[in-house]
Amino acid sequence: MATVNSKRMDKKTWPKSNADVCIRCATCMAVCPVSRVTPLFPGPKQAGPGAERFRKSGDSSVDEWIDLCIGCHLCDMACSSGVNISELNLMAKAKYLDEKGRPLRDWFLTHSFLFAGLASFFSAITNFLLKNQAVKWIADSLLRIERRRELPAYQSPTFRQWFRKRPSSPPFEKGGDACLPLGGQGFEPYSKDRKKVAYFYGCYTNTNEVDVGKATVQVLEANGLEVILPPQECCGLPMLGNGNFKGARKMGLKNVPSLLKAVRSGLDILFSSTSCGHMIRHDYSHLLAIPGTEEVAHHLFDLFEFLRNLRERGNLNIHFKELPLKIAYFPPCHLRSLGIGLPALEILRLIPGLEIENIEADCCGMGGTFGFKKEKYEISQEIGKDLKEAIDRLNPEIVLTDCEGCRMQIRHLTGLKVLHPIQILRDALSDTK
Amino acid sequence: MKGSMRLQTEVLIIGGGATGVGIARDLSLRGIPSLLIEREDFLSGASGRNHGLFHSGGRYVVSDPEAARECIAENRILRKIVPHCIEETDGLFVSLPEDSLDFRDRFIQACEEADIPAYLLSRDHVLSLEPELNPDLLSAVNVPDGAIDPFELVLANAKDAENRGAKFLLHSEVTSILVEGDRVKNILAKNTLHGEEYLIEASYLINAAGAWADRLLKLAGLRMAMALSKGSMLITNQRLANRVINRCRPPSDGDIIVPNHTVSILGTTSVRLEDLEHFEVTPQEVSLLIEETSKMLPAIEETRLIRAYAGIRPLFQSEGKGDDRAISRGFVLIDHEKRDGIRNLITITGGKLVTYRLMAEKTSDLLCRKMGTDLPCSTHLKPIPAMDAPSNLKDRLKASGEAEILCDCELVRTDEVEKILKEGGVKDLQDILHRTRLAKGTCQGGFCIYRLLGILNEMGLAEGDSNKILRGFLEERWKGIRPVLWGSSIKEEELIESIYKGIFNL
Repeated sequence: MATVNSKRMDKKTWPKSNADVCIRCATCMAVCPVSRVTPLFPGPKQAGPGAERFRKSGDSSVDEWIDLCIGCHLCDMACSSGVNISELNLMAKAKYLDEKGRPLRDWFLTHSFLFAGLASFFSAITNFLLKNQAVKWIADSLLRIERRRELPAYQSPTFRQWFRKRPSSPPFEKGGDACLPLGGQGFEPYSKDRKKVAYFYGCYTNTNEVDVGKATVQVLEANGLEVILPPQECCGLPMLGNGNFKGARKMGLKNVPSLLKAVRSGLDILFSSTSCGHMIRHDYSHLLAIPGTEEVAHHLFDLFEFLRNLRERGNLNIHFKELPLKIAYFPPCHLRSLGIGLPALEILRLIPGLEIENIEADCCGMGGTFGFKKEKYEISQEIGKDLKEAIDRLNPEIVLTDCEGCRMQIRHLTGLKVLHPIQILRDALSDTK
Repeated sequence: MKGSMRLQTEVLIIGGGATGVGIARDLSLRGIPSLLIEREDFLSGASGRNHGLFHSGGRYVVSDPEAARECIAENRILRKIVPHCIEETDGLFVSLPEDSLDFRDRFIQACEEADIPAYLLSRDHVLSLEPELNPDLLSAVNVPDGAIDPFELVLANAKDAENRGAKFLLHSEVTSILVEGDRVKNILAKNTLHGEEYLIEASYLINAAGAWADRLLKLAGLRMAMALSKGSMLITNQRLANRVINRCRPPSDGDIIVPNHTVSILGTTSVRLEDLEHFEVTPQEVSLLIEETSKMLPAIEETRLIRAYAGIRPLFQSEGKGDDRAISRGFVLIDHEKRDGIRNLITITGGKLVTYRLMAEKTSDLLCRKMGTDLPCSTHLKPIPAMDAPSNLKDRLKASGEAEILCDCELVRTDEVEKILKEGGVKDLQDILHRTRLAKGTCQGGFCIYRLLGILNEMGLAEGDSNKILRGFLEERWKGIRPVLWGSSIKEEELIESIYKGIFNL
């Protein structure tokens, strides 16, 4: 009986395969960045719904190539029949890696949040080590972390420390303090104006790109909003992307109650990393079945989606100063997968003097931890080629993109200055200067 | 006859199904030369149009214990001689709340008497083995059923027979049988592709034409009473259960689900038929099959079906009985010397795919007696080498990351098809489809067949009008798809139709 029950539960946790609705049209094959550059990956049509027909429950995995799925979700978006291709791939990848075992390298890449605090505190030493060629050589040969890849530097103080200590900041509040009457439980397409918002900044903002967090807070405050940081952990996407459902679910189970508390106290939650946002909005509920996610998702907004909502109601601070910059904007895959259009581009286009172009290219090739892996580095670079060429043609001074992975990759590919769009928006708000 | 090619053989076998090919191999092992003539390709009749059940005998054990005993004996032999054609899945006879447990107990008893290893499983145990089964089931009996690949089976038999000297003449139809006194003297045949005519002289003639046995005898001025029973089946897009699922009740419509490679096959119906050449699966049959099989596997109600097809059971009728299911599924061996005074003619028909070897053995034994020799049968001892092309699901999935794939749905590799083409012997598209898993998946050849024509063209094998070949294929495909066309299938069909109409201008 126990076996029966646990099997049933597995089924609930993992969505029922809808490979049956694939009409074999191969549109997904035209958008897959991986199969475009390597014959080793058979492409979404075969790897997803196609291979499903060959996988028998109880059989061990043989589809080693499944590990090459970069997790960009472009296939899901292209599918005319709504097949959850990347989820099918992720489940197959999880099964393959569960059986085969994960290298220590993957543990390091997906658990950086455990030592990020320490790394930040000793950032001078950490960064020296991360840049040191000998260390990189060791990481390359022992852990198979590609040595040509720059390892992200740590910053001190962390965003959270900065937020707490800054003189202008209002007293730090824990997420649960209800300051507004409880909002309706139902879905609201646009949440009503509220004086406070909660911010899910993500690990990378906290320890590696603190200025993204600062800019977010500054822009929100310049719009008359008070920012609250609910207690939070890594969203778990690196683990999920590496097929570690259990680990990812653990992170979700820590985050959702805290976010739910914020939502129930009437706050909207904003994220500046589109990957964290995508994880919480879609994967928490769909793949990981974390209770309460639906309610959180209804009040969870991409930072620029939120600003666009303000703008639509005439509440956005648009006292921008002139910024005579030539900028190229790259919409990350996970932003596109959110299905909210390109809000950052819409808002930035309001800035006078800013010459901004959208980069017409698919996936950057980083795929979170994918691009760090020695065996996948070449594929990652090959995918990025199109993007690099597109950027070269535009010849911008600065490249903007909402995802930290994309930012790392574009810096690596082009050597250009690459920022989060909120940083430029902050610069344009003259009164924050 | 003027202009016709003269062929001579000791034994002429008519019919390239499992029985005919089985006889060819049996005779080749005994050292008796034979020629097999087939109107189309191997497996063009019931051998290629069944649910691929590797019978334990359980299905007939209550109604026809004799046939069941034959099944289990052959089941044991085939596991040894053709393991590569068999998936040893086991089968379950499932009792639902509306089914009588008296029948179940009789079933277990009958299995014991027929020497079929059967054991009762509790509801919870069954559900842990096959979680998609109806959770309301009461119990299930496990028997050594399995899945058999009839194509692999017959083609491997043919290849081995050929290596031992047997000859095959495919795509050739017998047009007349000349009887002189108490003997069949000559047989006239015509190649259906090129129109070439043959005059065949044979010392013995074996009629293994299956459902066409009676029609063939008519050419010799003889008759036999046969009941033609159409059995329709549906194919699901994915494999829904790993074991054969039977309903534990007296055989009736829609009581079996057989796993087959990537798919499950839902069967069957039983409809009396007069016309051998034109038959289709009717909407009533489709509804009936879904309704009945989904009682065992509720997922069937929502699953996608990719094809419907029907085969004709050649059932021998000793006297007019009402229900075809009551007619023995055992086989019939007729010595026309005793029956009609024709000394060198034998008819073998009826039976099951799983008893093909036994049928071949009995036929060959009778032939030997007629020839006055006592060469022993050895087909139960000598394994049949595997064909090299098809491999199991795991191997194909693994290889799909390495080689060029021609058929995305069934992961058939381009080099696999090229090899078959290079070996020669394939005359038309249907022949290629019989020898690979091409076009057996989700899109049913919608995307791979035009790719195949490209390969045929490159290899200089595309004879005649490619559009005509495509049209013929599409008509046959349409026949199989139309009965199950709704939901996502219809969406896909629109796409495929626009490809063929828009790009190929068909």
